[in-house]
Amino acid sequence: MTTGTRVPAASGRRSPSAAGAAVVTVLVVLHVLAWQGTGFSPADLVRGWRGMADFAGEAIPPDLSWPVLGAGIRAALVTLYIGLLGTTFSVPFALVLAVLGARTTAPNRWVYQAARSLLSFLRAVPDVVFALIFVTAVGLGPFAGVLALIFHNTGVMGKLWSEAMEEIDLGPRDALRTNGANGVQVVAHAILPAVVPQFVGLLLYRFDVNVRSSLVLGLVGAGGIGFLVNQSIKLFRFDQMATHLLIVLVLVVGVDLLSAAVRRRVAV
Amino acid sequence: MSVSPGRSAGGTALADRSPSPEAAPPLSISGLRKSFPGRTVLAGLDLRITAGRLVAVLGANGSGKSTALRCVVGLERPDGGSIRLHGEEIVGLSGRELARRRSRAAMIFQKIHLVQRRGVLDNVCAGALGRLPLRRSLTPALFPRELREEAMECLRRVGLADRAGDVVGRLSGGQQQRVAIARALCQRADIVLADEPVAALDPAAAAQVLELLSELAREQGLAVAAVLHQPELARRYADRVVGLARGRLAFDTSPGHLSDRDLDDLYATGEAAP
Repeated sequence: MTTGTRVPAASGRRSPSAAGAAVVTVLVVLHVLAWQGTGFSPADLVRGWRGMADFAGEAIPPDLSWPVLGAGIRAALVTLYIGLLGTTFSVPFALVLAVLGARTTAPNRWVYQAARSLLSFLRAVPDVVFALIFVTAVGLGPFAGVLALIFHNTGVMGKLWSEAMEEIDLGPRDALRTNGANGVQVVAHAILPAVVPQFVGLLLYRFDVNVRSSLVLGLVGAGGIGFLVNQSIKLFRFDQMATHLLIVLVLVVGVDLLSAAVRRRVAV
Repeated sequence: MSVSPGRSAGGTALADRSPSPEAAPPLSISGLRKSFPGRTVLAGLDLRITAGRLVAVLGANGSGKSTALRCVVGLERPDGGSIRLHGEEIVGLSGRELARRRSRAAMIFQKIHLVQRRGVLDNVCAGALGRLPLRRSLTPALFPRELREEAMECLRRVGLADRAGDVVGRLSGGQQQRVAIARALCQRADIVLADEPVAALDPAAAAQVLELLSELAREQGLAVAAVLHQPELARRYADRVVGLARGRLAFDTSPGHLSDRDLDDLYATGEAAP
């Protein structure tokens, strides 16, 4: 795209309109392929409106009877707990890998590369896949969900933290190095104090994301309210499903407000 | 005024170790060389600084003043030559032994480089990290009480004992630079290398910091070298003035003998070299 605005240099005299047309053509072709590849069909959606209406009709009003509501709230707490433990227990691993995987703190190039690779791997494997793996090890239930979040979140948070550490002013690090502090002391006394606000902000952001992820983990059998949503769909109890979704809404909005409020405080 | 490059002295530095290190000058640099890609910054620098004196280091931009100091404290690795601290060679050393010998030299920076979000006393204590085991230094809460008392003493020495509990970010630039000097004292350094310590300060704060440095030299016998941009400050506070040009010593004289001619030559050569 930028070739269009650049002053014509020694390299070929392609006119901007030709380059633009080529880009537009490629984009159009890609979208047509994607349309076909996903079976995208508004006609089907219109034809199937009755099914959706039936679904909505059964879901409304939600079943707000105490047994359903109580079970939903208990399960929502489990979801919250999965998100909490998954976030907290990933902190030490994320911290170590972030320190080893940041250019400003890595002891040498090999360790840096190894830490970066491990973080990339943990990030690349989705938490749902980790959950399916751990379900085979520890069985269905919230514990598998916690393990899955620990692994995936270590990858994401480690990466975010290491980037935060690469952006700080390196003066205090150099100053402590000159007075004989070793690598761990430099991290503890010059690097970490400078990044605490960013670290806490990112941690809360990840907690927020992890609570929402743990819902999806419930769908694959890792307990919590996601599991109840899945179950009520399978039993065609859409009114119960609606109740669970309302509880999810309250949970997600609550966590979001909480983490936003704390982040505002810490950012000062 | 010109001084021989002293390359032979640098070559035999390791062999002819002084038998009594206490008699050796605190810092003795000879034949120091350092190049960065495309330019030579230090071309065989010879420099000695003595205990109980404040030496002002003058020179145009790019004359190698900062690089020389940075080589001494290990922020740059010299290409060759000799740096001896109290007679002990440090060029070519590495690891624990290097850290031990180097711990007697502390650096003061133009940009101060304190940890802004920590307290004043914690920043001063950080000067002692090199001699603390990890289990007493992982967080400020683990610092031994004796260290806190020593750090308080250092703060008192720079006149900031009443600010010990404050967060560094609340202090003025001049106060922060004095906290940095207290950190150097807490390191128990007897060589203080200050790289343009007052370039970012207003005149009153600059005067206070330089007065403090010259007092510390005279009263506590520290060897102080301060890179300065203003010759007037050098004339006023220094016991000795050295000029660097093109990575070598250009002159070494007393403030009283520092002539305008010396200065014109010094800054003219600097401008000739881009």
